[in-house]
Amino acid sequence: MRGSERGGPRATLVVAAVVAAVTLGLGLAACGGGGGGGIEGGGNTESEQVKLEGKPSGSLTISNWPLYIDEATVSAFEKQDGVSVKYIEDVNDNAEFFGKMQPLLAQGESGGRSVFVVTDWMANKMHELGYLQNFDKSGLPNFEQNLRSELKSPSYDPSRDYSAPWQSGMTGLTVRTDLAPDVHSICDLFDPQYKGKVDMLTEMRDTVPLVMKCMGVDPSEATEQEWLDAIDKIKGAVDSGQIRRFTGNDYARDLTSGDAVAVIGWSGDAVQLQADNPNIEWRMPTEGCILWSDNMVIPVGAPNPTAAEAWVNYVYDPEVQADIAEYVNYVTPVEGVKEILAKREPELAKNQLIFPSDSFTKNCTIQPTPTGEEEQKITAAFEAVLNG
Amino acid sequence: MRLGRRTVPYALLAPGAVWLVLFFVIPLYYMGKLSLESGTIGALEFSWQWSNYGDALSLYDTQFVRSFVYAGLATLFALLLAYPLAYAIAFKAGRWRNLLLFAVVAPFFTTYLIRTLAWETILSDQSPVVSVLDFLGLAPGGHVLATGGAVIAGLTYNFLPFMVLPIYASLERIDERLIEAAKDLYASSRQAFWRVTLPLSAPGVVAGTLLTFIPASGDYVNAQFLGSAGNQMIGNVVQSLFLKQSNYPSAAALSFVLMAVILIVVLVYIRFAGSEALMGEEAAR
Repeated sequence: MRGSERGGPRATLVVAAVVAAVTLGLGLAACGGGGGGGIEGGGNTESEQVKLEGKPSGSLTISNWPLYIDEATVSAFEKQDGVSVKYIEDVNDNAEFFGKMQPLLAQGESGGRSVFVVTDWMANKMHELGYLQNFDKSGLPNFEQNLRSELKSPSYDPSRDYSAPWQSGMTGLTVRTDLAPDVHSICDLFDPQYKGKVDMLTEMRDTVPLVMKCMGVDPSEATEQEWLDAIDKIKGAVDSGQIRRFTGNDYARDLTSGDAVAVIGWSGDAVQLQADNPNIEWRMPTEGCILWSDNMVIPVGAPNPTAAEAWVNYVYDPEVQADIAEYVNYVTPVEGVKEILAKREPELAKNQLIFPSDSFTKNCTIQPTPTGEEEQKITAAFEAVLNG
Repeated sequence: MRLGRRTVPYALLAPGAVWLVLFFVIPLYYMGKLSLESGTIGALEFSWQWSNYGDALSLYDTQFVRSFVYAGLATLFALLLAYPLAYAIAFKAGRWRNLLLFAVVAPFFTTYLIRTLAWETILSDQSPVVSVLDFLGLAPGGHVLATGGAVIAGLTYNFLPFMVLPIYASLERIDERLIEAAKDLYASSRQAFWRVTLPLSAPGVVAGTLLTFIPASGDYVNAQFLGSAGNQMIGNVVQSLFLKQSNYPSAAALSFVLMAVILIVVLVYIRFAGSEALMGEEAAR
């Protein structure tokens, strides 16, 4: 054998060459066989419909976001409908969850899950790719009756055929009232006196439409060019040092420490943040807010769709929804909950962030969902700003 | 020659080789295939789309250069911090040696993410550290967090132990009689260090720089939490392409380019700086 030490660098080369050769060899072999796996589309645009079979029974697996339900609701459903529920909190980010499930969905499987909870645009995207089933509305009397009227016909699903809101929320301004008392509009975020003290969200569909509103553009009717113009304005603010950084929920840290004094933020977070620091406040921008919903959807290949619909129907019972609303502090999509909570917890029922009145949200826009090639172009432009 | 002697090395190699094929070569193959596909998600097709590579490079060359500059600076700072530290632990620490080594490794008891988030607090605008830096004129605009400096500081900190430990290991092995001999031959302390100690510790320095530079150039956590929009590295771009833009082919192509560039940089480094030092030829002269 050769002296192993002397062979060091050369051995590295040999190993690299072998790895490269093996990789190529495998590649050629697999190409001959017509290739395997990979990411291919399922893509049937005609959606199938849920087939209901008698009474709900058996087991049901639900994927939702963390801390988005009180535990008692799940067990109460199990008791009432005789279904055993596996409730998984594994959705942390729409895009990431999509990345995880997409290869399965493309093959018509749902990873054993019967209900996902995803935000409007993701529900739309999954639907376009043929990954969702339409509801059989005969199994959803509560949903039909109790869904709040302003949520009944979003542009992407005008008759709510495949998406049922889980909770809704508002995106607007979260400010430190002691450090930036005068920030009341999205345009104020571009005021040089707050240079380097402003955060915006990495969520494009929240940040860009709000900036459009400051520019006098209606996001629900915006053209591709108007999206790109708003992204340009944001880029300018990044280049000038106006915007400190782009965040997810972690804007909370910047606000608490005072590193940021005014940010684009979510209403549901603010209820909690304010409890910890009374100087933090969510404000309705003078231009209005962005309204969004996280929606329950039933994916293709979902086992036990009967139980899945029973679950959707169950949480649309106002009494049940009141328990959830009491726990999560977002905007409830169910009619009649306010009246119930007014008796149980009058303070909550009066909170505009949980039960916004029509006049409070009059300038708000439902989160726009650009699609197809337009979406890809806009996303690429926005991500280019984020990754400068 | 008996048969057993020939087969034993292969038998010993087998578990590692199987592991590599399953979890490195096969994923690499699928990623290679993905990088040559075209179309949008849901309708991706394999089509020898070599332009993915060209596009990825021309769109994200800034982030590429930035990644290597940040990783290079972090490696340099880590080396400047680690060498004296390792030297002190190896030669001067006496009975404190084990305790000091433990202190170097101790941060690993908490996760990488938590350690990085801690730097958000350390470098926060109101922190004493930043006030001092500001006073010294080292914090333009009064803030450090969300700048390139913070990203480099985070990288340096996070990969420091990977630099300290190999250098320590090679210093600790040095036969102190060699240094004595050098002094007997009228070398000053400084000459003995440059002509004897440093060359003998070169393998540790090479290993340390590689262990720091390679992961640092692909890192995205530090840039995400400590950087701002203008400080994102190539890892952040790959993450964005994969998870935010669902542009799998570009992301795969970019990963391959990153891998290739690092491989080339490392091979060149080992060839010119490394091999001589590794062989200790300087010392033999």
